[in-house]
Amino acid sequence: MTGLGRLLSIGPTDNTSRERTPRQPLQLIPEGARESFVPYSRVQPALLSAEADMTRLAADLPRAAGEAIEVSGQLTDEFGRPLRGVLLEIWNANTFGRYTHKEDASGLPLDPNFLGLGRVLTDQDGKYRFLTIRPGAYLARPDIGRWRPKHIHMSVRGGSSRLVTQMYFANDPHNDGDPMRILMGDAFKHNVAGEYDAGQPDLAAGYRFDIVVGGRNATFFENDL
Amino acid sequence: MNSITPNKRPATNEDTCGPYFPDPFCDADRMDLVEVHPGLVATARGTPIVIEGRLIDIDGNLGNGAVLEFWQPNDRGIYRTPAHADHPDIDPWFDGYARCRSKDGKFSLRTIKPGALADRAPNVTLTIFSDGISRLVTQIFLEGEAANASDPLLTSLPEPLRSRLIAKSTGANDRGEQVFSIDVVMAGNNETPFFDDLES
Ligand SMILES: [Fe+2]
Repeated sequence: MTGLGRLLSIGPTDNTSRERTPRQPLQLIPEGARESFVPYSRVQPALLSAEADMTRLAADLPRAAGEAIEVSGQLTDEFGRPLRGVLLEIWNANTFGRYTHKEDASGLPLDPNFLGLGRVLTDQDGKYRFLTIRPGAYLARPDIGRWRPKHIHMSVRGGSSRLVTQMYFANDPHNDGDPMRILMGDAFKHNVAGEYDAGQPDLAAGYRFDIVVGGRNATFFENDL
Repeated sequence: MNSITPNKRPATNEDTCGPYFPDPFCDADRMDLVEVHPGLVATARGTPIVIEGRLIDIDGNLGNGAVLEFWQPNDRGIYRTPAHADHPDIDPWFDGYARCRSKDGKFSLRTIKPGALADRAPNVTLTIFSDGISRLVTQIFLEGEAANASDPLLTSLPEPLRSRLIAKSTGANDRGEQVFSIDVVMAGNNETPFFDDLES
């Protein structure tokens, strides 16, 4: 009945990964216990429409510094079935590479017009859309000059779907040295958004980022669909 | 190409949560599953308990800034999923899902002592999202439960690892609720067993 699953890899040059990555292979879950490992998130917050526009603090306030971009896409499981009514929590650094989180001690400039967090729910087709500021890259390891490439954090939660991921930009010079990008190997391409013309003069670009929630947790319960 | 096999889409990679998960996202989340709200009479059925824990890294330091999710059945062992929507033992005041971002690596969950169905021992599923790692999942059991000896998950582990998933009873709080305590060691000596929910 016992068995071993994946051995997780440590992200190169990532101190926190060294500190927190289990050294033992994961254990396989016995079939009789499998369902108990699928949390079901039934309650979704009531969102304000302004939460989908991270480029300003409120509709009547100035736009944040940097390039405003649109990000849109579809959430599906591996079979292409849309994940409906799922919460997407989004956070990213400002154009200077600074988060508004109190624990970001980088000293990079804050932008008084940018909080860097947003939330959207997917629609009946699993689709979503939000606006944000193209994040700046930031120096994650000053001691060795290793940067984090531009990225947008996203957390997917709803029903039995759960995924925490990051969206990356093509051709960012810092992509290649990123610890998680190195661990992803060729599959990194699934986390890189495709650029399109957002068709609005005030938006620098649009990015298509389709999210495929994999594994059995994606849509464990039929009623999710 | 095989036209019968569905053309599966490649999954988006999991990634780290980074150190800066925004605390405001957790404003509507709960770490007290007993009382629906302090100002309401709505209270879950069963025996309130408290599970306290610490995330420990390979150097013995607390793992700060992680997002923790908890998932458990109600006092009668029923998970609140669509599959059990009409189950007679559903507790309308109990969802069984909790989440927090732990600034310092410690957590305290006030909940109902989970019931157990069939051959399972009472347990709470813990998911960890953090900087440096992708999602980790494990289950927390409670000291003193006879069913621990025969739980299929616990007994699937080599014997020396089992106790690492069992929260120890540390007495009662001032409300008379039993308090349990567990160290979740992410890496290194006494490493907590984590489970593979992608390949299991
Ligand atoms: Fe980040």
